[in-house]
Amino acid sequence: MTKKIFRSIIFGSVITLIVSFVFIMGILYEYFNNQLLSELRNEATLAELGVEEYGVDYLENIDLENRVTWIDKDGTVLYDTTVDAAKLENHADREEFKEAVENGSGSSQRYSDTLAEKIVYYALKLDDGTVIRISSEQYSAWALIASMLDPLIFVFVIIVIISILLANLLSKKIVKPLNEMNIENPDIDANYPEVMPLVKKIRKQHILIERQMTELKKNEEEFRAITSNMQEGFIIIDTKTLVLSFNNGIEKLFDVHDIKIGDSVFTIDRSEAFRDCVESSLKGKRGEGQLKYNGKIYQLYANPVFEDGNVRGSVLLIVDVTEKEKREELRREFTSNVSHELKTPLTSIFGISEIIMNGIVKSDDIPKFAKDIHNESGRLITLVNDIIKLSKLDEGAGFGDKQPVDIFKMAQDTITRLDSMAQERNITVKLTGEKTIMESIPAVADEIIHNVIENAIKYNKENGSVDVFAGKENGWITFRVKDTGIGIPDADINRVFERFYRVDKSHSRKIGGTGLGLSIVKHGVSFLGGELSIKSKVNEGTTITIVFK
Amino acid sequence: MRNKFDQQLEMLHVELIKMGALCEDAVSSAIEALEKNDIVSADSALDTDAEIDHKERDIERMCMKLLLQQQPVATDLRIVSAALKMITDMERVGDQASDIAEISRYIIESGMSINDDIRKMAKEAIKMVTDSVDSFVKKDLELARKVIAYDDVVDEWFAKLKSDVIEMIAKDSTNGEYYIDIIMIAKYLERIGDHATNIAEWVEYSITGVRSKNN
Repeated sequence: MTKKIFRSIIFGSVITLIVSFVFIMGILYEYFNNQLLSELRNEATLAELGVEEYGVDYLENIDLENRVTWIDKDGTVLYDTTVDAAKLENHADREEFKEAVENGSGSSQRYSDTLAEKIVYYALKLDDGTVIRISSEQYSAWALIASMLDPLIFVFVIIVIISILLANLLSKKIVKPLNEMNIENPDIDANYPEVMPLVKKIRKQHILIERQMTELKKNEEEFRAITSNMQEGFIIIDTKTLVLSFNNGIEKLFDVHDIKIGDSVFTIDRSEAFRDCVESSLKGKRGEGQLKYNGKIYQLYANPVFEDGNVRGSVLLIVDVTEKEKREELRREFTSNVSHELKTPLTSIFGISEIIMNGIVKSDDIPKFAKDIHNESGRLITLVNDIIKLSKLDEGAGFGDKQPVDIFKMAQDTITRLDSMAQERNITVKLTGEKTIMESIPAVADEIIHNVIENAIKYNKENGSVDVFAGKENGWITFRVKDTGIGIPDADINRVFERFYRVDKSHSRKIGGTGLGLSIVKHGVSFLGGELSIKSKVNEGTTITIVFK
Repeated sequence: MRNKFDQQLEMLHVELIKMGALCEDAVSSAIEALEKNDIVSADSALDTDAEIDHKERDIERMCMKLLLQQQPVATDLRIVSAALKMITDMERVGDQASDIAEISRYIIESGMSINDDIRKMAKEAIKMVTDSVDSFVKKDLELARKVIAYDDVVDEWFAKLKSDVIEMIAKDSTNGEYYIDIIMIAKYLERIGDHATNIAEWVEYSITGVRSKNN
């Protein structure tokens, strides 16, 4: 800017300088010329009078600045004030002489050899026909220009200095309002109408930028809202594993609170599985793996992000799959249990029937084997029945409507039914409470009461006791069975309600049962809207309490 | 805009984290081999050690490049020089882990198994390695100092195991070789603890600029 202004100023000034110099030189030169000529004329007139009056004496005695030559009619020089007349050649062919002879006066000018000097002549014819000539030297135009060169250079230097100063000042002055302009809300002094288009452009641009910023901010907020409410952990990293963005889920999952944008993702976790996933995704291959972190299991997905065919980073998604993994394990266990429970009686039946079929068994022994087949198929039927009951409870249908049930009486009947079983191992069963009527489904209620009391007898010790309470407690209908049995270890207490779960896997066959009893109880109670709680101590006994609120 | 030097420093940090993680892997694999009589884990410890050696050379090259091309000063120089020292200690941890893995193979092949005390000592040593790497990753001065102080615990375990082994050899000299293996493992674990302490000291140095006196 300053340079451009400087160039303009200096260009203008130099042009002005040259033009004015040429003009002035032209005018001045003409003026000087005329001046000189009239001076010569005056002097010639004077000399004419003098010569006519006194002859050569006059010329010899006067002291004139200019050279005076007296020329005869034929052009011979009679006298010259500066040079010896005898040495001068004939002047007849001189222009001014010829003119003076013809017209009475004449003038001419001739340049010296160097062109630096010009000599102006003026000739006047005297009455006697001779001619008096005055000549004077004058500087030529070139000499004049040359003599003016020094001051010209001086002026030029001054122009350059002033131009620099002016250019600086001007550019500063021009730029000042631009620099001082508020970009947020651009406006300009009325003195600068030239800048108005720029101001308008900036205003337009500003509005556009603001709109785009709002859009971007909105997008980012949306993104944040989505990711921050995710349970899953979410990280975006660049090719150097540095974190570009992450959500709250990550902080919760890894229990860290000081993740910084720009840190390596390995500061969050650096386990082998994690590293392998991240590194494979940064090589452009999707990574998937499981992490174990503080007893939890996380599933990690690492997806490479491509741009123009190159990996630019990776998106990591981390999901807590602890529950899912546990359920998966339970399912596997369940399947293996159920097949085991089904297979064992079937294998017995198959084996026994095979040896009978092959005629190996004596006819006397057949009733004994038939009894085994009967028992085992009975087991299978009970098992299938239990599974049907459970699936009915799962579906929540097929038991008929609710009707008044006396749970005290139901417990009494059950105890009578199980009396022989209790007596076998000399277990005393005691019932307390009173007649308690509740709206319930008899089949389900009976199943619950039967299973709980049966378990209390089955898992009891020899000569143990079972206390059954059926009645109201704290205003709620309560059914409680307390035994002095083998108890359940703490590690298993939460699992006894699972289908086919057996605390003591080795003894379960001896005791019998399907492993579904407590599962049916749990489902039944929740089906009837009750609450089930269990307390147990190994070798001391178990208490199961069911409360209907 | 971050300049190239900052980026290189960041890369150095990432590579050091990876190397630290490899050390943790190597030590845990070696111990797992002992605990579960698992030859596969022992092999994995040996593989990881090879990887650690490789990483050491990579990081060394990175540091040299940084030193020569960028000529860092002040804190940056401290970080690079600490990194150079740290990888030597990390590499040694990897070596000790592979040594333990070698011994664990003999023990597994001879049908013996390690005792509870070694198991507990190993746990402490692993904790020290993990914490020292953690202190580096999180630039956590307090944790680094904790690791330095914790070295005494591992040293005490070594002293205890030593006297136990002497007693056991006196009682049962037929299994002398096994007891020597046990004391070797204990010694390696003790060395791992020392290297973890060194790493923590380098972390302390790179943060504060002051070298611990008890090194």
